[in-house]
Amino acid sequence: MTTTQAAPRQEPGAPEPQERSPSPARGSGGGRLTPPWLPWLLQAPALLVLGGLLVYPLLWVVTLAFQDFNLRELRTGGFHWSGLDNFREILGDSTLWQVALPNTVVFAAVNVALTVVVGTLVAMLLLRLGPWLRGVLTGAIMVAWAMPAVTGTYVWVYIFDTSDGMVMRLLSTLGLADPDTTNWFTDRAAFFGIATLNVVHHGFPFVAITVLAGLLTVPKEVLESAELDGAGAWRRFWHITFPLMKPIFAVVVVLSTIWDFKVFTQIYLMPGGSGTNREVLNLGTWSYVTALSQNRYGSGAAIAVVLTLLLLGITLVYLRTLFKQEEL
Amino acid sequence: MTTTAVPPAPTAPDGAPAYATDGRGGPRAPRRRLRGRLGNAVGFVLVLAFSVGPALIMFSTAFDARANDGSRSLLPSDPSLSNFQTVFGEAGFGRYLLNSAMVGVGTVLASGLLALLASVAVARFRFRLRTTMLVLVLVIQMVPLEALVIPLFIQASSLDMLDSLIGLTVVYVAFSLPFAIWMLRGFVAAVPVELEEAAYLDGASWRQMFWHVLFPLCLPGLIATSVFSFITAWNEFVFAITFLGDEDKFTVAAGLRQFFTQYGTDWGSVMAGSTIITVPVMVLFVIVQRRLSEGLVAGAVKG
Repeated sequence: MTTTQAAPRQEPGAPEPQERSPSPARGSGGGRLTPPWLPWLLQAPALLVLGGLLVYPLLWVVTLAFQDFNLRELRTGGFHWSGLDNFREILGDSTLWQVALPNTVVFAAVNVALTVVVGTLVAMLLLRLGPWLRGVLTGAIMVAWAMPAVTGTYVWVYIFDTSDGMVMRLLSTLGLADPDTTNWFTDRAAFFGIATLNVVHHGFPFVAITVLAGLLTVPKEVLESAELDGAGAWRRFWHITFPLMKPIFAVVVVLSTIWDFKVFTQIYLMPGGSGTNREVLNLGTWSYVTALSQNRYGSGAAIAVVLTLLLLGITLVYLRTLFKQEEL
Repeated sequence: MTTTAVPPAPTAPDGAPAYATDGRGGPRAPRRRLRGRLGNAVGFVLVLAFSVGPALIMFSTAFDARANDGSRSLLPSDPSLSNFQTVFGEAGFGRYLLNSAMVGVGTVLASGLLALLASVAVARFRFRLRTTMLVLVLVIQMVPLEALVIPLFIQASSLDMLDSLIGLTVVYVAFSLPFAIWMLRGFVAAVPVELEEAAYLDGASWRQMFWHVLFPLCLPGLIATSVFSFITAWNEFVFAITFLGDEDKFTVAAGLRQFFTQYGTDWGSVMAGSTIITVPVMVLFVIVQRRLSEGLVAGAVKG
């Protein structure tokens, strides 16, 4: 961390904050002793990087979706417009309707529901524990949270390994599965079941910690008096806790939705997930495989645009909830 | 950062036992209390097992010399460091670690500096960029990586920047910037303006004020933010496998893939490599976890 502290002084490309000129709006404007262009200068480098590496590529991927851009174009640098051909191809492809879209939408719906429910239950459990046990359990779920997606996925694949993973051993000892004939990773439902375990395991800690932070602010007097009036735990949750925590739940749900919609690593790294088994493609892996494994960049870009538009809709909802929360 | 705590309601005293624990002395049947205790215990064990189970399996396999003969249990059957020797020896994981560390540190330095400057602008000046920043944070949360990786791959290949760790670093800086700015904004906003004014009254220039007042006071936030930037770069996988084809340039996340061959998977090495990747992240994560949920949810609220 010492490197961080030393950093800015070594950075030659940094903008030079100018000496303040004595004249502008001194005193009255809430301590504005700085020239009006200073804020622009301060954020120019950040905006430049963001513009060049986020905004520009996004605009580019949209134009790419309307181009016939393949390996030849990548080599020669030329391209030609193809109008809506890429979109026509995708929308007419049964992969979209029967595979990628259901794999994305159903998977996200199931995972968001599970993540939020599990996370909330864990938060309520944390609330009921004494300080010491709560500390232990918080530490434990941090371990789950900190597990990188790449390594987490490998561990789940290992646990469910079809030749001699733990689960297969257990099931075959019990006579419930035969290692020679069972392959979970080629079966769509089982594949996504394992992916669900992985994604929920990775996602519930964020929900639990955030919801716990909210639960701690629910005034206990209200809950106690409701209990004295005979309200059970279920009713107390739905009539007191939940309404108070609505903004937090909104944020948690929408963020989880965004993350689970665009889940990539956890699918791509599973056996067959990188395109060899087309049954288990979702929009993200389909786009990636089309563009970068098959070198059909235009078509891949069109899929990415479709996915982005889906996510854009969700984000608009998120923005609205956030700004509503701000008004409170 | 505590000022940016999430919700609108009055805050509970820090660390105080929650309302539902006990000490309530209400008219509660002892049997119900017992059942509650039992429920807590069962829940505790279940959550504990689910949370740390995968990590434990990873560790025990990594330290098990017989990981690949199908001896699978929660404790290593033949404890040894042989998997780590393979990983560092034949597999050249040391090189990947070095690459990842360089990319991570580069990302931290660049995004820390850029984010600090930008967050001062966003937090301190009467300047309508706060909404833009928020939108950018959301955009980077929202945009699927494929939408960025496709054009950036084309760009990088036309510039001959594939296989360049600097190119990868620049991409990661862009990814970590919006969140870093959003988080740092809260820290800058928490520094009282009066302190700045006092510095000006003492004759300091803006630059002096920045380095001697704002910077030291924002340092804890800068460190927390840097940790997240580092983790972003360290964990990133999609750009790493897309941009890097030369084995000498692999980062750790990309390097793990070589243990999966068409002849089978060397699970002992995979888990040893995974352990090497995971442990630093876990350590850093524990240090700064509290800021994460606050930053994600609350960055927008205060300021």
